[in-house]
Amino acid sequence: MAREIKDNVFKQEVLNSDKTVVVDFWAAWCGPCRMLAPVIDELSEELKGKAEFVKVNVDENPVTSNQFRVASIPTLLVFKNGKVVETLVGFRPKQALKMAIEKHV
Amino acid sequence: MNERYDIAIVGTGPAGLSAAINGKIRNKNVILFGNKQLSNKLVKAPKINNYLGYPNVTGEELKEAFVNHIEDMEIDIVQERINAIYAMGDFFSLMVNDKAYEAKTVIIATGMEFTKPLKGEEEFLGRGVGYCATCDAPLYKGKKVTIVGYNKEAEEEANFVSELASKLYYIPMYKGNYNLNTNVEIIKDRPLEIIGGSMVNKIRLNKVELDTDGVFILKDSISPGQLVPGLELENEHIKVDRNMITNIEGCFAAGDCTGKPYQYLKAAGEGQVAALNAVAYIDSKK
Repeated sequence: MAREIKDNVFKQEVLNSDKTVVVDFWAAWCGPCRMLAPVIDELSEELKGKAEFVKVNVDENPVTSNQFRVASIPTLLVFKNGKVVETLVGFRPKQALKMAIEKHV
Repeated sequence: MNERYDIAIVGTGPAGLSAAINGKIRNKNVILFGNKQLSNKLVKAPKINNYLGYPNVTGEELKEAFVNHIEDMEIDIVQERINAIYAMGDFFSLMVNDKAYEAKTVIIATGMEFTKPLKGEEEFLGRGVGYCATCDAPLYKGKKVTIVGYNKEAEEEANFVSELASKLYYIPMYKGNYNLNTNVEIIKDRPLEIIGGSMVNKIRLNKVELDTDGVFILKDSISPGQLVPGLELENEHIKVDRNMITNIEGCFAAGDCTGKPYQYLKAAGEGQVAALNAVAYIDSKK
């Protein structure tokens, strides 16, 4: 399961992490985000130990969303050593996401 | 709605219909999306001489023959517009606004009737350009938004967004009476290009340039790449192999949307191949 995190812990949980972290920017009113959620949860199980998966609700966390200029959701950002190494906008099939994320683990 | 169909077919031209009858003959549970007119292209054809067995037929006559065939086989056409198809892994979700249909396999037979993208549209997708205003509107609270609307439905989305945006420009791509809130500014001009740096900041029209933070393009028919996120295309067409399989397992394509030649019989043949391979795929999963 991908954990929900908030603005106040983003730096510590994502930017300062020594692992690859996948951040799912989502909101309750976004259909494709709801479709993506179970896919993300499955991936978090399949890539356990290789990558961390967290979720950021853009409604509740405007600071982080603005900082990374999230202009369309769902957006997945893959972080490594505090930097964005991959941006994936919109829904993608599970296999395609897995391949894109595995490049960075 | 909770039923999971064997094969969902999107499109009611010759490719989609031929896929539907072949799926049905093989005893699969088929759902067919499209419209009762079948296909604009077909109805408009004055004379067709290259459909084997039907010399000198008109498009209208061929359409009647197709309708009789699917009625005879008790195949219904579900007149709903599929906005998006999500590959969930071992099944597909076909979205109609807030509703979803589920199917084990999908055959895309949507033809080639979508408008070309604007200059800059694909480049700025996700960086200010979007195709669903209601989805992304809250991200544009207090910002300037432009909506390019190709149909009446776009007006509703525009009204919703105008309640959040600081400014909303509406560019209608059709003629008619526009039912829009008073704070929406209607711009009757032709959009040419979306411009920006890291994000969108302008839209250039034939006569004017507008400052804007976001551009939503709301069309009737969407390109297959937007319809099925993650689908691999090749020069505007869906990439398929000899078995009509796309890059997504369980997703097939047939007809004009897979490439030239754009012909009725080729479309029907591809629909048949796609359906038979969808059947084989379902049976292999048992």
